[in-house]
Amino acid sequence: MGTMADRISGLFFMALGLVMYFWINPTYIETVDGGNLSPDSLPNICSLILAVAGAFVAIKPTNHHVRNPVLMAKTGLYVALLVAGIWAMSWLGFEYVAPVLALAIMWFVGERRLLWLGLGVVVVPAAIWFIVTQLLGRALP
Amino acid sequence: MVDFSTMLAGFGDALSFLNLAFILFGVVLGQFVGAVPGIGPIMAMAIAIPFTFGLDPLPAIAFLVGVNKGGLVGGAVPAVLMNTPGTPDAAATAMDGYPLAKQGKPLKATKMALFSSITGDTFSDIVLITVSAPLAVLALKMGPIEVVALMIFAFSILAGLIGNSLAKGIISAAFGLLAASIGQDPENFTPRLIFGYWDLFDGLALPSVAIGMLAISEILHRLSEAHGNLRPAIIAKNTDNPDDSRVTWAEYWSCRVTMLRGAIIGTILGALPGIGSTAAAFMSYAMTKASSKDPGSFGKGNIHGIAASESANSAVVGANLIPLLTLGIPGSVGAALIISAFMIHGMQPGPLLFENQGRLVYGLFGAMIMANFVNLWVGQLGLRLWVKVVSAPESIIFSSALLLCFVGVSMATSGLFGVAIMLIFAIIGYLMTSFGYSLVIFIIAFFLGPRFEKSIAQSLALTNGDMTQVLKSPVAVALLILSVVSLVWFLRTNARVEDE
Repeated sequence: MGTMADRISGLFFMALGLVMYFWINPTYIETVDGGNLSPDSLPNICSLILAVAGAFVAIKPTNHHVRNPVLMAKTGLYVALLVAGIWAMSWLGFEYVAPVLALAIMWFVGERRLLWLGLGVVVVPAAIWFIVTQLLGRALP
Repeated sequence: MVDFSTMLAGFGDALSFLNLAFILFGVVLGQFVGAVPGIGPIMAMAIAIPFTFGLDPLPAIAFLVGVNKGGLVGGAVPAVLMNTPGTPDAAATAMDGYPLAKQGKPLKATKMALFSSITGDTFSDIVLITVSAPLAVLALKMGPIEVVALMIFAFSILAGLIGNSLAKGIISAAFGLLAASIGQDPENFTPRLIFGYWDLFDGLALPSVAIGMLAISEILHRLSEAHGNLRPAIIAKNTDNPDDSRVTWAEYWSCRVTMLRGAIIGTILGALPGIGSTAAAFMSYAMTKASSKDPGSFGKGNIHGIAASESANSAVVGANLIPLLTLGIPGSVGAALIISAFMIHGMQPGPLLFENQGRLVYGLFGAMIMANFVNLWVGQLGLRLWVKVVSAPESIIFSSALLLCFVGVSMATSGLFGVAIMLIFAIIGYLMTSFGYSLVIFIIAFFLGPRFEKSIAQSLALTNGDMTQVLKSPVAVALLILSVVSLVWFLRTNARVEDE
């Protein structure tokens, strides 16, 4: 069971290398006539190395244990939250989204104390806004 | 040749109350802003330059020097205390700094970072002041062929950072190089792997990739573990042993060879345009680990690991000014910002600078030395404050750090596209560490990739594709031999660590 993580990741990198070499690199790299170093030289070499080394990892795995799947699922939740935050910022701006995002993160972590919630949700975003826009004269996302 | 009285007058100018006040202000600002992931010393300087428009040249440049040096010290703070390096070079510091902080010795870890940073910085400043001209001429003799050989040497150093699987290390390096090849190719300037996103035409921004992989992925990992468990971000144990919160003279002195090696590596790489502090920090770390009698203790809180990384990355800053002041060639983004500040204030870097504005140059040198002392003093006070700050609950520390990363990367990359890229690389980084792949190797390969490819293209153009021309360059041959030797040395050291 301990070798499964390496077998999975090795196969993934082998597949990635092969897909890059045979499909993505030829499709998404423009070719040019002349020159000393073709634009696809480095990507192709890296893709082949990925495929070969990935196969090697899959064939000769180490005893690496992957992280607890429950923790990885929780991480997925936070990633979803951040994706939603970035999307909302593109529409509404940092000023409106940052307090809500901070509240959501702190709430998911399990923070319920009003003092810390107030600091994280009101004081920190307000301080960032003041420093960036008022003191430094730069735009927020 | 500048006469002695001009030198003394310059140093005297640096000691005026006004200049010292601006150095102090710059160091405080730099240490504070440098500790924010995503902003760092470069961004801090970029922000600070407009504030110097109304100042005389020396106070303005002294202020910027203070910001730059303070930023370097500040950059190590989140790396050591939270394992969230704000810049790629601080990642090497985190490798031993964070484990030491987790052992309940955050002040010891941050103080070691401060002392070794200032030691390396002072070393390179002294080299700059005394032998900058001959070093700059030597650096200019490094053509593309020699740079390719140097890059191969830098890649061979990566072997020192590979853990228990050589194949996984190679995958990390190849994946990093592949990510670095996104954007225009260096010879023909045609777009590669941009998938219709023209924001990618200039390549993936280093702040997005580095902060995503190193800082955000770690924050995500810590958040997932912190669910319902509200503990401080770092626990500073109250022990009766005062040595747990300070660096004793014996400990500092035991790192003298490590710091000297780091400072020499940083100074040499800093004098070469385009190599940078990240390569210097990791090169120094890998060499220190390989030459240690106890390499297995690295990554577990060995103070030599902190000393190696910080002395090297700080030494790069002073050395970056060698080609800048003597030849007018900026060796890094930070140096390019300084050159622009020089020109705003009427200084024209180049061979005639010492003749025409000798007093101002020696004023700058004096300001650099004074900034090191101020950095040491402010750092001693500031680090205590930062340790208190990160003793707050993880819920507020990490939610605030995420917001700061959003803002910092957005400012560094001019928009939310960079933030989205940061998040993508945070996910990649999280998965890579989950499956045991080295993020550090990925980042170094990503950092060195564009320069490596460009140098190969230039070398091929110079030699008409005849790579046997390499054998005509003694420097390149020496570096290639050194690469093979170091590769064998590092792999044998890794095998020894595994056996232990």
